[in-house]
Amino acid sequence: MSQEKVTIEIDGRTIGARAGEPLIEAADRAGIYIPRFCYHKHLSVVASCRMCLVEVERAPKPLPACATQVADGMKVATRSAGALDAQRGVMEFLLINHPLDCPICDQGGECELQDQALGYGRGVSRFVEGKRAVADEDLGPLVATEMTRCIHCTRCVRFLEEIAGDQELGGMHRGEQLRISTYTGEPLRSELSSNIIDLCPVGALTNKPFRFRARAWELLSFPMVSVHDGVGSHLSVHTYQGRIQRVVPRECSTINETWIADRDRYAIEGLAAPDRLREPLVKRYGEWHTAGWEEALSAAVAGVRRVLEGHGAAGIGALLAPHATLEELYLGGRVVRALGSANVDHRLREGDVSDQEQAPPFPYLGGTIAELEQADAVLLIGSYPRHEQPLIQHRLRKAARAGAQIMALGLRRFAWNFELAEEHAVAPQHLVSELAAVAQALGERKQRKLPQALRGLPGGSVSEPARAMAKRLLAGERAVVLLGNQALSHPQAATLRALAALIGEWSGGRFGVLAAAANSAGGWLAGALPHREVAGRPSAEQGLAADAMVRAQLPCYLLHDVEPEHDLWDPAAADAALRQAEHVVAVSSFASERLREVADVLLPLGAFGETAGTYVNTEGRWQSVRGVAQSYAEARPGWRIWCALAQLLELEGFAYPDIAAVHAEIAGACRDVQPSSRYPAELRSSGATSADGGSSSAPGRASGQGSGVTLALAGAVPIYAGDALVRRSEPLQQSPLAARLEAVVAPETAQQLGISHAETDEATVRVRVQAAAAEALELPLVVSSTIPAGTVWIPAGLAERAQLGPPFGTVTIEAL
Amino acid sequence: MRPLSEYLQSFLLVELLRGLRLTGRHFFSRSVTLEFPEERAPKSPRFRGHLALRRYANGEERCIACKLCEVVCPAQAITIESHQRADGTRRTTRYEVDMFKCIYCGFCEESCPVDSIVLTRLDTYTAEVSGERVLNKQQLLSMGDRYESQIAADRAVDAPYR
Repeated sequence: MSQEKVTIEIDGRTIGARAGEPLIEAADRAGIYIPRFCYHKHLSVVASCRMCLVEVERAPKPLPACATQVADGMKVATRSAGALDAQRGVMEFLLINHPLDCPICDQGGECELQDQALGYGRGVSRFVEGKRAVADEDLGPLVATEMTRCIHCTRCVRFLEEIAGDQELGGMHRGEQLRISTYTGEPLRSELSSNIIDLCPVGALTNKPFRFRARAWELLSFPMVSVHDGVGSHLSVHTYQGRIQRVVPRECSTINETWIADRDRYAIEGLAAPDRLREPLVKRYGEWHTAGWEEALSAAVAGVRRVLEGHGAAGIGALLAPHATLEELYLGGRVVRALGSANVDHRLREGDVSDQEQAPPFPYLGGTIAELEQADAVLLIGSYPRHEQPLIQHRLRKAARAGAQIMALGLRRFAWNFELAEEHAVAPQHLVSELAAVAQALGERKQRKLPQALRGLPGGSVSEPARAMAKRLLAGERAVVLLGNQALSHPQAATLRALAALIGEWSGGRFGVLAAAANSAGGWLAGALPHREVAGRPSAEQGLAADAMVRAQLPCYLLHDVEPEHDLWDPAAADAALRQAEHVVAVSSFASERLREVADVLLPLGAFGETAGTYVNTEGRWQSVRGVAQSYAEARPGWRIWCALAQLLELEGFAYPDIAAVHAEIAGACRDVQPSSRYPAELRSSGATSADGGSSSAPGRASGQGSGVTLALAGAVPIYAGDALVRRSEPLQQSPLAARLEAVVAPETAQQLGISHAETDEATVRVRVQAAAAEALELPLVVSSTIPAGTVWIPAGLAERAQLGPPFGTVTIEAL
Repeated sequence: MRPLSEYLQSFLLVELLRGLRLTGRHFFSRSVTLEFPEERAPKSPRFRGHLALRRYANGEERCIACKLCEVVCPAQAITIESHQRADGTRRTTRYEVDMFKCIYCGFCEESCPVDSIVLTRLDTYTAEVSGERVLNKQQLLSMGDRYESQIAADRAVDAPYR
């Protein structure tokens, strides 16, 4: 589209426009409304509904405004007798086959067809023939269908093809037989699929869990921010009688455009899960007793005092969820520090934080989210944004469609929804050396040498894929290197960060870290860290990081919204640590069976939407939200709970009148924080770059005992297993993307195990997986060529695999 | 000075006699008072009395939980909660009318797309304790069941004018 400015006239008003832009866009900008169904500003133009017909001077017939390009001197009439006549005619045709079941339709009250029928429809139908009925299709647990209502605007079809990336819906047959269908009968698999609900101008596609719960006019809408990844998508939360009923996207062109992930929309279905904590609970002699807040708080405080006296302050450790609000993380950190300990951390899924002293103020994307779509060469390291940060994937996909070279260096191949320029999957113990090879290849071309601290990494020779990646990165003018969730939870994450930062620098582009959770960045600013206080000020005392805290087996743990079997890097060690601890206080929205076993006091925490707070997203943007829903039973906002604990512990400086005061204190401290994504390699101690991911035996070889094969273990947290709320959302757990616990191996590995391809097709083969000194686990085996040889992929973050320990390591596998 | 005829009229008590004549006429004419509750006045088929929920002939409740009556009610007397019934249809889990709030305007009946909520001819009813003023779905349905024939007949009479 050219940038040439032209002047046109719409309904007698002279307005400026860009030559060649759709007429409807120019009209929208000028505030002149033209009715439409199929046009959407983020989708391609098909001009299939014909609702936007307008009269253009010297055109023989009315023209669709969405498919008419603006030209200089154009004179358009949107409300002339001819235009209105055309629009009314189209409306009459659209209503011919529409069932008019508005009273039972969930779209009723917010329906574009309803609104426009009021403006352009006839009072009485002239159509006396039989109406068409279309059989419904099951699109899975998220989207309800009523295909008789469909007016064939094909917005859903275009969205799934152009934005979500998989052509999962299409128009079948033609003429009056035309219907929107999956054809295969499979449920939708896209992580963005539910956006078709908002796109559908009629009630053909509606929100399935929300079905018939409330009408549009009785809902109250409040602005909110998504808490399930580091993107911070803008949401509107709709409440009815104080309860959150549904979530819809709120437009924000710089973060999420008009889309949200399914995870953001349906996580609220977990809010009233059966194991939601209703009131404070205190464990006495192994039995749980319901208690009032005062009693429970004093029980929590008494236990902490006991540990302080018996073991000193260093015996106290706090594990805070990275999706907690900034204020909760700040107060949690301050309470622990005021007690004299520095054992506080929110990096629960990270195993290697040895570079924390040199780290920037917070893990930063290196720019804005919107800028990602301008990139022309992207290297993704240990990342699958499609499941980890779906809206980052959307930006990357836009870049890819504009011609960007996107490369992935990871631990397995994934189902990307765009063409990758390079995809290189390596076993976890080789990830560092492969990344070093990319850096070395870049260095060779730029005649630079790897810094001392990063030299001597295994591998040495530069592999072909590494060379190709380096070449493409250098060819790009706006290169971006991104480190994803899997790289961050890698046992050598610090080295990966240093190498990736170096690659970003050498390729002349930017380097960024994709934040895994809503406050992965905010936790750093709030001082929920063992080595830094608020705004990155150095901590007086050095405490233990999350994983070290778990390994140190402290006598007292304070948990904030943490489910140890899911949320920690090494759930096996966490379980052992919590079991041996004298006193465990869990501030939590939910009380899972495992948490009930290990905790001594359970304090009910206000969940998503019930508490005010601030989230800092991966681009360093601060977003504050209000609590909009009634608190659930006795649950209270986290900042109040921490303040109450502090006051009972007689700590100074926790008398905040409201959350705004807490926020102001953090914001004031962080005023001068400059985002940065520099991870200097020079300052690092060389000891941390030791070879092979902590595994001593060489994986991929048959070990001595039995018929077992020793393999490197790798895994990522599945899309719908990231936090307690998502894990409890029934519709998400029923969707095809829900986590399945299985062991995935390469065909070569399957052969080593003595399993032929034929057997695994029926998915009946089970294997016994054994991690060091832990009970063996029996899992179904899946053979897939997406996994590098010598690796077994088992999803992380699932309670059923907790005994295997960290997501990476070494396991022995034996066919059953 | 008043005319002579006025003196005559007041002297002969003409106005008093006229009044007595009216009294006398009514004294001997037929009484129009009804002996309520034994006797009832005739009602229009459009009479707006007690609310009721109707069913279809097969016993299925008509209400589809569209909540139009709830939103149109000027007195906000109606409270509805809806859900998806096991057979996939849209139904109410709660349909309550506060009869103290109700002003018998009939908007709910007019807004109802399925003729479910109706105003019956019943105009005499009591509540003995405060809580009884709120009628629940079961009570409203049984109201409809009891007066269905009357309700249907009234609607049929009024149909040409709707």
